[in-house]
Amino acid sequence: MENAIVSISTPLGVGAISIVRMSGKDCLNIALKVFHCKAKIIEPRYMYLGKLEIEKDTFEECLMVYFKAPYSYTGEDLVEFHIHGGILLAQKVVELFVKNGCRLAEAGEFSKRAFMNGKITLDKAEAIIGEINAETEGELKSSLKITNGKLAEKIEKEQEDLKMLLAEIEVSFDYPEHDYEEIVKGKVLEKVKEIKKQNDKIIEISESGKYLKNGINVALVGKANVGKSSVLNALLGENRAIVTDIEGTTRDSLCESFFHKGMKINLIDTAGIRQTEDVVEKLGIKKSLESIDNADIVLFIRDGSQKESKEDKEIEKNMSGKRVINVINKTDKKRVLEYKDNEIEISALTEKNINHLKDKIVNDVIKFDIKSDALVLTNERHLDILKKCDDILNEIFAIKNESLDIIAMLIKKLWVELGKITGNTENEDIISLIFSKFCLGK
Amino acid sequence: MERFDAIVIGAGHAGCESALALARTGNKTLLLTISLDAVAFLACNPSIGGTAKGQLVSEVDALGGEMGINADKTAIQIRMLNRGKGPAVQSLRAQADKNAYHTEMKKTLENTPNLFLRQGEAVDISLDGEDKIVTTSVGLKYVAKALVFATGVYLESEIIIGKTREKTGPNGFKNSHGLSESLRKLGITLVRFKTGTPVRLHARSVDYSKMEVQNGDEGISGFSYLTEHPIENKAVCYLTYTTQKTHEIIRNNLDKAPAISGEIVGIGPRYCPSIETKIVRFADKERHQLFLEPEALNTQEMYLQGFSTSMPSYIQKDMVESVIGLEKAEIMRDAYAIEYDCIVPTELNPTLELKAIKGMFFAGQINGTSGYEEAAAQGIIAGINANLYLKGKEQIVLKRSDAYIGVLIDDIVTKGTNEPYRMMTSRAEYRLLLRQDNADLRLTEIGRSVGLVSDERYNIFLEKKRKMKEIEQELERKIKLDENVKNFFQSHKESLPKESMKLKDMLKRVNIDIFDIKNQFGFKGDYDFNLLEKVNIKIKYEGYLKQQQEDIEKALANEKLKIPEDFDYQNVKGLRREAVEKLMQIRPLNIGQASRISGVSPADISVLSILVKKDEKERKNGN
Repeated sequence: MENAIVSISTPLGVGAISIVRMSGKDCLNIALKVFHCKAKIIEPRYMYLGKLEIEKDTFEECLMVYFKAPYSYTGEDLVEFHIHGGILLAQKVVELFVKNGCRLAEAGEFSKRAFMNGKITLDKAEAIIGEINAETEGELKSSLKITNGKLAEKIEKEQEDLKMLLAEIEVSFDYPEHDYEEIVKGKVLEKVKEIKKQNDKIIEISESGKYLKNGINVALVGKANVGKSSVLNALLGENRAIVTDIEGTTRDSLCESFFHKGMKINLIDTAGIRQTEDVVEKLGIKKSLESIDNADIVLFIRDGSQKESKEDKEIEKNMSGKRVINVINKTDKKRVLEYKDNEIEISALTEKNINHLKDKIVNDVIKFDIKSDALVLTNERHLDILKKCDDILNEIFAIKNESLDIIAMLIKKLWVELGKITGNTENEDIISLIFSKFCLGK
Repeated sequence: MERFDAIVIGAGHAGCESALALARTGNKTLLLTISLDAVAFLACNPSIGGTAKGQLVSEVDALGGEMGINADKTAIQIRMLNRGKGPAVQSLRAQADKNAYHTEMKKTLENTPNLFLRQGEAVDISLDGEDKIVTTSVGLKYVAKALVFATGVYLESEIIIGKTREKTGPNGFKNSHGLSESLRKLGITLVRFKTGTPVRLHARSVDYSKMEVQNGDEGISGFSYLTEHPIENKAVCYLTYTTQKTHEIIRNNLDKAPAISGEIVGIGPRYCPSIETKIVRFADKERHQLFLEPEALNTQEMYLQGFSTSMPSYIQKDMVESVIGLEKAEIMRDAYAIEYDCIVPTELNPTLELKAIKGMFFAGQINGTSGYEEAAAQGIIAGINANLYLKGKEQIVLKRSDAYIGVLIDDIVTKGTNEPYRMMTSRAEYRLLLRQDNADLRLTEIGRSVGLVSDERYNIFLEKKRKMKEIEQELERKIKLDENVKNFFQSHKESLPKESMKLKDMLKRVNIDIFDIKNQFGFKGDYDFNLLEKVNIKIKYEGYLKQQQEDIEKALANEKLKIPEDFDYQNVKGLRREAVEKLMQIRPLNIGQASRISGVSPADISVLSILVKKDEKERKNGN
């Protein structure tokens, strides 16, 4: 059986559920590393209700079904997860399996395997070939160069720098007698450090990447008695269980999170909101304003049943340059407050529009439309590669005491990974560089 | 017309290995050479091995070849390159006595049963069914079912020194005239490549006091796993430099340099540029290093490495005299460039058999490679496969993960080459596995299975494996954490373990090697240095070796998917036209090889594997 592959099997639109499918060697073991359910033994073709541990202590309820080879679509061991709808969650799940030993499926790979294992009849071969070619073409159209030229340039630059470094190392291996100053490990590590900085930055600027990794930071601001605390509770709702507050952290940096559409949303500096009203009054609005700096988006909460106050205007002044959602609370009462740009009317009390508010947070921060698939799909692949690169970079520093040949092996691996984005994977390129850069030979 | 089982044309480094492999597996073999004085001739540098090439020599040896044994017999200096850079890139390099190398190899050939060494120039090849008929310049005819072409740089070769062009082979030997035409008639494509060699100087005229001495390393055993004693260093090399004056002379005479003025059309190797090319291409480099190497113990001739040129002889003299320490140097032989015909290696299968003509094999520089070691590596494979062809058995292909030999052959037959191909460690993706020290572990069994590994060699190998196991057993010993052990860790700058520890786990610490452990804790048995070193690498790099092994297994699945020889690329749907063209040209043996063809994308490979599967099923249904 071939190595395990994973992909999202349902169309990338909005739907009640998404299916993530894994096929190949060990896929059940990979699944059970992160899927927790009551059953002790997993029987093929039974559905199990359980929880996927998406991050430490963060669970997603879902259904799992296992098909044992050869009685599956691909003819291999196959596992399906039926999870809540939404592309971001599905991607998180895929990412989770990649982290645990799967790789992303290539264009048409499930069908290809099914065919190779005799699960699909001969006359379907052309259809599968068509599927592969169409998907490949789709990927080409949404290649990084087309969707994000600047980012592509940065990745190309990183790979180019790696190539130069590799050439320098390789020439010291293949021409130990050459009379150039030989590259030493210290210098190699220094250069790797520079490359890591580039890689970090690339991950950072691929915006969605940053948010997928760290979540969206949200600040709740507003003057006293507008209902910040009840908005907070309404947002967290049943998800109250996944408060990420850890014992021993300072109360000041308390941050509570929940997942929405697979996206982690961090409500920052909630301590102030949870403290007793008189403390809040003592600190005034000052404390509330501090959280604005750390936020990706600010929820400016006002009482819809009251006129605008001086304090509201004071707070507004401090939010220039930030993405803001004007949250008008207490709309179960008669609206008195004038209308605002980018506002949303809610009622923390009746939970009116709380879900819309959650949608709005995600949509406002992540510029691309969550419903469109191509952009997200390719980014996912690229982000996956960039993260793998990050792992390799960290590994290089972890083994910095090893000999240069081992370090070179990892640097080469890094270059090959990035090549999957840039398309430059010809080993001959490195060799050519050696000969054009160095004067060698008998 | 005399009949043989196999005929090998050319007795250079490829031809010798081919002929020996064929004769040793019981085939009546004719080894035809233009000159018996040119057998196993080191036409250029008097050395064997070097980075990646050292591995090739040990691999040839592990398969049961001769180059390693012969190099060890005739070595006058030996070094282990890249010590301190890690086991993956360490290679042996030996200075060989050029005359002894030739004589000893000739002796071996002469004493091999079934092998018939014969001087004669092949001028025509014709086919009669499975038979190949070779006609020599004096009208003799030989016939055999298997034919190995190992003609080196002799085909229609021309020596170029300044304006002078002479139709000869290397070093004034006769060239091969007519055979190229005969190959063309058989439908084989020929291209023209170029290489060169530097001047040879008289030792008495060199001022060594101005140069740096390059000594050999002591206590190093040779290339061959049969060589029992370390190689004795009997000679030294010297390092010197060109001067500004050298560069000035060259720059002023560039119009007389055939390689630059365009008179030489053959494609020369980038890694082996002439000194004039170096000065043009790297103009801001103030000096270039040169090595003086002894050609043999019984001669005064010195080889000037780094000084390959095709300048006119009188300018060569000025150039040499401008080098530090060579002010009064006497030139004994001119440097020259040589142009020659070679085939396009993509016309070969990875078995080195010509795709178009069964039983016809090619090995060595005729395939567009460079170097003695690369030639020998192909020679032994061509010999092995010619034998398997004669016996009607499946031929062998070494994988890229088996040996540098596998990388070399896969590269040239899959990607082709547009310059003489030289092996480099950078070309191997699994170089941590393809080490100098473990060629025997990788290849002895393969050599045994094709009948080339003698009982003597095989027993040495089995004994070695047994001893390695013994050492590994010793390393299973658990050591209690007492003061002595604590001191041991501290003196090696390693953090203290928390509890008692296996010796094996100590070995995994970066600053502790097997020799430290042996000295501190002692072993029950007595083991030689090489064995301990092997186990040392095996355990220290276990994790990385495992990683490479996993990568290999992933890649292997594709190697196993065979593509039928007559697969109809033209009439299948779904492959891009560019991919079809490339695939038709190379005709890969399996999906793995197909995936390494440049211009064939991963999507093409997916499509191709479906098409091949479909084809296979249809054939089955059809029958």
